[in-house]
Amino acid sequence: MVIDLDKCVGCQACSTACKAENNVPYGSPDEQRTRRDIFWNKVIAVTNGKYPRVNTELISMPCMHCDHAPCVTVCPAKATYRREDGIVVQDFRRCIGCKYCIVACPYGARSFNSKEQEEKEYHRPDLPPDRNVWGQWPFPTRTHGVVEKCTFCFHRIDQGIKEGKKIGTEVVPACVEDCPAEARKFGDLDDTHSEVSRLLSSRGWIRLREELDTKCKVYYLPR
Amino acid sequence: MGLAFSKIDGKSREFYILLILFSIFTLIGFICFMVSYISGHHVLGSSSIIPWGMPITITIYLIGLSAGSLILSSLTYVFGKEEYRPIARLAVFLAIILIFGAMIGIALDLGRPEKSWRLFMFFVLNNMRSMFAINGILYGGYFLIGLVYLAFIFAEKTKFTKTMGIIAICWAALVHMGTGAIFGFIATRPIFFSPIKPFEFLSAAMASGLALLMIAVVATFKFTKRNLNKELIFSLSRLLRVLIIVLVVMVLIDKLTHLYSPHREPTIWLLTGPFSWIFWVLQVGFAYILPMLILFHPQYGKTLKGVMVAVFLVVIGIFGERFSLVIPGTAYPLPFYPGKIEGIWGMAGSFPITPIESFMSLGIFTLMGLLFLVGLKNLELLPVDESGQQTPELTKKT
Repeated sequence: MVIDLDKCVGCQACSTACKAENNVPYGSPDEQRTRRDIFWNKVIAVTNGKYPRVNTELISMPCMHCDHAPCVTVCPAKATYRREDGIVVQDFRRCIGCKYCIVACPYGARSFNSKEQEEKEYHRPDLPPDRNVWGQWPFPTRTHGVVEKCTFCFHRIDQGIKEGKKIGTEVVPACVEDCPAEARKFGDLDDTHSEVSRLLSSRGWIRLREELDTKCKVYYLPR
Repeated sequence: MGLAFSKIDGKSREFYILLILFSIFTLIGFICFMVSYISGHHVLGSSSIIPWGMPITITIYLIGLSAGSLILSSLTYVFGKEEYRPIARLAVFLAIILIFGAMIGIALDLGRPEKSWRLFMFFVLNNMRSMFAINGILYGGYFLIGLVYLAFIFAEKTKFTKTMGIIAICWAALVHMGTGAIFGFIATRPIFFSPIKPFEFLSAAMASGLALLMIAVVATFKFTKRNLNKELIFSLSRLLRVLIIVLVVMVLIDKLTHLYSPHREPTIWLLTGPFSWIFWVLQVGFAYILPMLILFHPQYGKTLKGVMVAVFLVVIGIFGERFSLVIPGTAYPLPFYPGKIEGIWGMAGSFPITPIESFMSLGIFTLMGLLFLVGLKNLELLPVDESGQQTPELTKKT
């Protein structure tokens, strides 16, 4: 995934789209205060400098799906694993909830689901309508006591591959689809003809926290 | 040999009062655990920012106590120091109880404790690159080795005991170094990340294990009206002085290296930030400075009361050391991007003390106290006679 910071306006549409797509709980003010709300995608604001010479950067952060993922290394139950195509996914059925991956993740991409979903502020009578179409997830339902994270909407990608669609143009994760500024691009980094490869070769890019050598696969095109 | 061991009668009023009190608090702890399990971990103090709270702090603390206690039992059974024989059985038994409590602590912290069997499916369902899974082997093996060791001690098989003792101390050292490695190998958290962490944990384990053992010995001997050889406690307190100095050196090296780049800012935050009181008061004050002052004092260091105050401070202080590692270590905000991160993502986490978590933690301790009492009643742990010095009062048998 490539995120163009020049185009990003920090509207949080990606966060909202993610919550709607993956049925991530919306959270409450109390959870916000105690920092138990679940974010699969977050947008942080980083300021540099002092008024009046101040610069704010808005960085939208999904899971980075690192090649050398610290969370995969530390998970004792193989609940977090890297798929063949490089997506790091979390299997809720295997997760024992030891939270070691939250401690190990350098990007704060992981959240612990500490509450049963049926409670009031989580209550959503309308599930995403296409859930039935996409079929079975690798876990039966959302459950408390496990760690959750962004999956790059692998259910969309898997379905798209099954139907023979082109990943990156016809099938993209929800956050990419809903980005109004088209700041996010999704595609195969190994494919030299993909949009993401073209962007990365045409402009300078950065990755977050390179010093930890995570080899993450979310690239940012700086302003 | 010439040293017989006996059970305690366990018929006195105090014994039953203590038994009932411990049972009640264990039950409360279990109820609190069920509440947290059924309704979710939002009743605990941990959050997505500070994922590890009180149960993990207590767990690593107990593992330390256990490893330290077991290593000290080897003074008699491996190195042949006969003067510590009266308390050696107690040390091994204490180690087994403490590791059991530690395992309970881990289970309480898991979001899905019913799946904790997955931790012990070595090489099949486990990712063996994870420090947690490696520690699963270590803890499980440690528990079994401790039981076998205790069995050999009860059977008075000196040769086997010695072999088992050597295995047990090596394994105990590994167990606690592995626990340190859980924290020390996490490159993401600057306060955790340190190659010296395993050794720091080991020395902390020895110091706190010895301190707890001294408390347990003095308390049980006093409670069962046995005569305690005071010289034994003083020689142990001299050992404790050395262990605390080793620990202080370890912590000093750790913090000094961290005061240099690139971990400078988190360390300064730890030493001056909102959690600094835990470090300075509990860890440095209670675990290092005050006990050292007492133990090196020409007067107080030579009285049983002074030594007991010192070891009590050590036991509390080492808990503070664990606390000041686990909580601030994860509370420090992650530097996602150079610059000041605004809003909630750049804020340090806070750790509220919640009643459910406190009672749950108390429950772990009382459960261990319960097991300790039951063990005293049913196993021959306490010495009967040591050249006439440690005769239990016959009048107590009614």
